[in-house]
Amino acid sequence: MAAADADEALDLSGVPCPANSARALIALEGMADGRVLLVTVDDGEPVRNVPPSLAEEGHAVVRREKAGGRWRLWVRKGG
Amino acid sequence: MPLRDAGIYLDNAATTRPDPAALAAMRAFEDEHHGNPSSQHAAGVAAAREVERARQAVADALGAAPDEIVFTSGGTESNNLALKGAPLPRGGHVVVSAIEHPSVLRTADALRRRGVKVTVVGVDPRGRVSPAAVAAALTPSTALVSVMHANNETGTLEPVAEIGRLCRARGVLFHTDACQSFTRAALDAGSGDFDLISVNAHKIHGPKGVGALFVRRGTKLTPLLDGGGHERGLRSGTLNAPGIVGFGAAVRLARDASPYETQRLRDRLLVLLRRGIPGLRLNGPEDARLCGHLSVTLPRGDAKEAAQALSARGVLVSTGSACSAGKNEPSHVLLALGLTPAQAGRTLRLTLSRMTTRAEVDAAAAALVELAGSAHGRR
Repeated sequence: MAAADADEALDLSGVPCPANSARALIALEGMADGRVLLVTVDDGEPVRNVPPSLAEEGHAVVRREKAGGRWRLWVRKGG
Repeated sequence: MPLRDAGIYLDNAATTRPDPAALAAMRAFEDEHHGNPSSQHAAGVAAAREVERARQAVADALGAAPDEIVFTSGGTESNNLALKGAPLPRGGHVVVSAIEHPSVLRTADALRRRGVKVTVVGVDPRGRVSPAAVAAALTPSTALVSVMHANNETGTLEPVAEIGRLCRARGVLFHTDACQSFTRAALDAGSGDFDLISVNAHKIHGPKGVGALFVRRGTKLTPLLDGGGHERGLRSGTLNAPGIVGFGAAVRLARDASPYETQRLRDRLLVLLRRGIPGLRLNGPEDARLCGHLSVTLPRGDAKEAAQALSARGVLVSTGSACSAGKNEPSHVLLALGLTPAQAGRTLRLTLSRMTTRAEVDAAAAALVELAGSAHGRR
């Protein structure tokens, strides 16, 4: 899955927890079900905390990829 | 006791009546969310989501990125953080204008006590800070310039974009206090002309006790408070989440409202007052001023007595800024414009908001005209 496979992208590099999860959830609000948001988060706590927060709201991380000190998460909006 | 303040409220430069929709947003937040917006569990994330929504609203209104917005307790804290937090070595130099709010001027005094040199730039008779005067005040050791966007006492809009550009060209940090103008007069943080911008909520029909400082990406600041490192380390302390949510709602409501109706009513008020009170003086420019702001000097009488008499008739105005109105000294702003202490003592501030009606304007004008007429008869 490449960046081009995402419908929208959100760079949350440097954004601390839980503001990163909050911003990703706000971005997903504006998307149709099934669309994919590519989220970039920092390594460490962000990549541990963001996926469960998104899953609690019904969204699915369908792929993750480490790039340098950051992670790219492909998040499919849940219904 | 009345449940609501009664009267025709024309003191919106001091503070505004909270918009019912902003209060409703705060109430809904309080009902639904109690988590700390810094907690990682579901309640924390839910609270953080509303805080981030508000941060986005403030950022959008300024043309900034969300990461450039630091929430504070209000304009005074934002101004203190901007000036005291800026990298100012001992022997460094700061330039401020003579008409700044006390939260800038007194903070500049505090910097002076720390060994920072401070230059105060004057204004012209309309209250305008000249960019050329600011440029002339810059020295090789100047680290920061602070000039407000709109003055709280006269309503004068300052050429801050121009001043910001000349500061940028000289590698000097530029701060503007935009508490009076936020959402009412254009200011584009995205232009790169501003490093630091202070704004607050209660001047735009939001709650009291919450504000923000725009900190341009890459600008180094030292926090005033040590603690948990909230707000990207710049403002420790648990966030005032309900206040921030109310701030965000107020910003969205303000951006949906047009300033032109307020300006039209302000112009009507000025016409009625000029027609009824010969010799009335308008302070500040006719054009480059805040949309709802009037500062007028009566030809005779005493402004404090006039304000009291108007209050007794249900018309609420002020004799100066809310922060200096309790003092007996003449306003430093009006003196800087060249008014005599006697003229400053005859000066009233009448400030409208988008909630002001034409009927209120007409009634307030009639009350002041009648009062000025009776003062004329006495003397």
